[in-house]
Amino acid sequence: MKETNDAVGASTPRIDAVGKLLGKTSFPADLSRPHMLYGKVLRSIHGHARIKDMHVREAEEMPGVRSVVTAKDVPGENSQGVLYTDMHVLADKEVRSVNDALAVVVADTEEIASKASKLIKVDYEVLPAVFDPETAMQEDAPHVHPELKTNVLYHLPIRRGNVEEGFEKSQVIIEDTYRTQMVDHAFLQPEAALAYQDQRGHLVINVATQYVHWDRVEIARVLGWTENRVQVVCTAVGGAFGGREDMSLQPLVALAALKTGRPVKMILNRKESFAAHSKRHPMVMSYKTGVDNKGQLIAVKAKIIGDTGAYASWAPNILRKAAIHAVGPYKCPNVEIDSYAVYTNNPFAGAMRGFGAAQPPVAMESQMDRMAEKLAMHPLTIRWRNALEEGDTTATGQFLGSSVGLKETMLQAARAAGWTIDDQTGEVNSYG
Amino acid sequence: MAKKRGQGIAAIIYGTGYGNGFPDVSSATVEIHDDGSATVHTGAVDCGQGSDTTLIQIAAQELGVSTENITLITGDTDSTPDAGTTAATRQTYASGNAVLRAVRVAKQKLLQYGASVLGVNTPEGLEMVKGVVSVKGYPQKQMSVAELAFQARFSGVRLLGEGTFVTHTTEVDPDTGQGAPYWPYAFGTQIVEVEVDTKTGKVDIIKAIASHDVGKAINPQNVRGQIAGAVAQGIGYALMEEVNLGEGRINNPNFSQYLLPTSMDMAEIEPLIVESDEPTGPYGAKGIGEPAMLPTAPAILNAIYDAVGIRLNSLPATPEKVLDLLVSKQE
Repeated sequence: MKETNDAVGASTPRIDAVGKLLGKTSFPADLSRPHMLYGKVLRSIHGHARIKDMHVREAEEMPGVRSVVTAKDVPGENSQGVLYTDMHVLADKEVRSVNDALAVVVADTEEIASKASKLIKVDYEVLPAVFDPETAMQEDAPHVHPELKTNVLYHLPIRRGNVEEGFEKSQVIIEDTYRTQMVDHAFLQPEAALAYQDQRGHLVINVATQYVHWDRVEIARVLGWTENRVQVVCTAVGGAFGGREDMSLQPLVALAALKTGRPVKMILNRKESFAAHSKRHPMVMSYKTGVDNKGQLIAVKAKIIGDTGAYASWAPNILRKAAIHAVGPYKCPNVEIDSYAVYTNNPFAGAMRGFGAAQPPVAMESQMDRMAEKLAMHPLTIRWRNALEEGDTTATGQFLGSSVGLKETMLQAARAAGWTIDDQTGEVNSYG
Repeated sequence: MAKKRGQGIAAIIYGTGYGNGFPDVSSATVEIHDDGSATVHTGAVDCGQGSDTTLIQIAAQELGVSTENITLITGDTDSTPDAGTTAATRQTYASGNAVLRAVRVAKQKLLQYGASVLGVNTPEGLEMVKGVVSVKGYPQKQMSVAELAFQARFSGVRLLGEGTFVTHTTEVDPDTGQGAPYWPYAFGTQIVEVEVDTKTGKVDIIKAIASHDVGKAINPQNVRGQIAGAVAQGIGYALMEEVNLGEGRINNPNFSQYLLPTSMDMAEIEPLIVESDEPTGPYGAKGIGEPAMLPTAPAILNAIYDAVGIRLNSLPATPEKVLDLLVSKQE
């Protein structure tokens, strides 16, 4: 036994470091079981289409193919989703995005499964689709989920003070629209999973995930089983960044193992991985901000539109987080934010590092620099003069009672950049 | 001069945890063994960010043992309690607190037994430091944790603890957005220096200074690693990455066309840590996973303006976009 009381604050080597460096760590693609089969997913090629017919016989009859799993093989609920179960596990009537899975071909080898999946013929009737969130908000836009009678999934207003009065008092007002793009998590390890029934008859799923207990909820729902008979075991995870929160392979590999009675492994290549998980929400952010002649922020007005694609995933929470973080780390008495999550037929967006708080700084921090420039003020000065401190209140009226280290981070970064700042006035004496 | 340099700054706030009243719960259990070593069970998955090491450090600190005497079992629905998602910059804070609570419960049972053995009328009269349990004010009277744990278990005492932590969040008003949606908040400031090639529009990142308030760095090297990784991801977001869609189809589902930063694109990164000591955090910790990524892209946009006087209103700042703006600025 080694006794010590200095574990916290020490740069202890990571316990996973040696295994990963030596290649001894197992990711799901490294696992295998006796008599294991391989599954390949067939996904939609259209953003919106009716499935008139799907012909699987040719694939089923190919030597080495053990089964083709489709919607009719789902014993429980054919739906999944972290907030709303608005996505089919296997679509059979309609597809709303290229994420939609139609079938899983299970075969003796990956090659056979892959070849057989190309033999499945799907008769599509392409339907009107919408790919731009601002168009999707218009009244005559086709509805991605017709039962909702709107493509606007979520709207959060933030109202504090009176922005119009704030703009009247402003010395400088900047108004502009900013756009951020859709990006992928691009984690190193593409999705893979292994499922099998153990000696108890329980279904075991080995997968790299962010939340084993939630995966169990989703898999049990699809199987129609009680949760205690589903065991989700997380292997080593090769990065996640939010891209492993929604179901990707878990219910599919579970269905395949259940139907064939054999262990089934599924491994995605990079191209398939792009279609299998969520993306970062592209956002359109229209900002109008005003400051007085000392650089004090008086009014922030913003409209934020996030494209969640065909499925909700975490969109309401993400666009809420965007709204709440729209003003940045600053005090402002007058705030008017409107944030919208909108359905389109694009690939679905979901959680990604920052979760809606990554996009607004692109707009707000540009606005801060542009207002500073008009006032012939250093960019750090304007930030310093508005920076939240302990005892301040945020744009949502939240009192910050402890651990507001913002100004310390400004000081520390400025010092490292060779800038000096007067902590009373915020004046900076060197730039560049 | 074909190449021009500039600096840009950006600052951020980041509300950690699920937020808005969403159930944000982490649980852990711990068992102290005969020799004072211990096993911790928690559902919290380490996605590569380092939570396994951090949770072990928290348990080790509280028990006064070395990290190698703690075994951590995670991410198995058959054997580990639910600890929520590895997301929202919440595992150090929420699961760290759950582990801390579980360890304290088990430790209390050990001290309770220790009080009877050492003739102290309350476990409050004992302290447990560096593997030794001793009487406060009279440390000559002491026992090693290992000896005490062995005796306790031999006497039929089981040193088990369960800890559950719920992060405080409140739903915001749906009409005004007012409320206390997150806790705690993390903060950060980054200053980035860029070099813009005015002939090609290519932006190189020269240096990124990244200062982040993490409450308390449980593992400083791990925090610096998180910051460096986040800056890399921020550089990709700012300059290269974009899923190119056509009629809802992904046109570039591969890394030859979906460009990510490589080691050749990386800048000198100076990760800096501010410790503001959050009272509700385990040993004062908040988190670092997400906030470190947020200032990088806007700081780069501001640096490009400082360098060449063009303002990009859309990401990514590809050479094509930069060059277009440079050309129209000259016209």
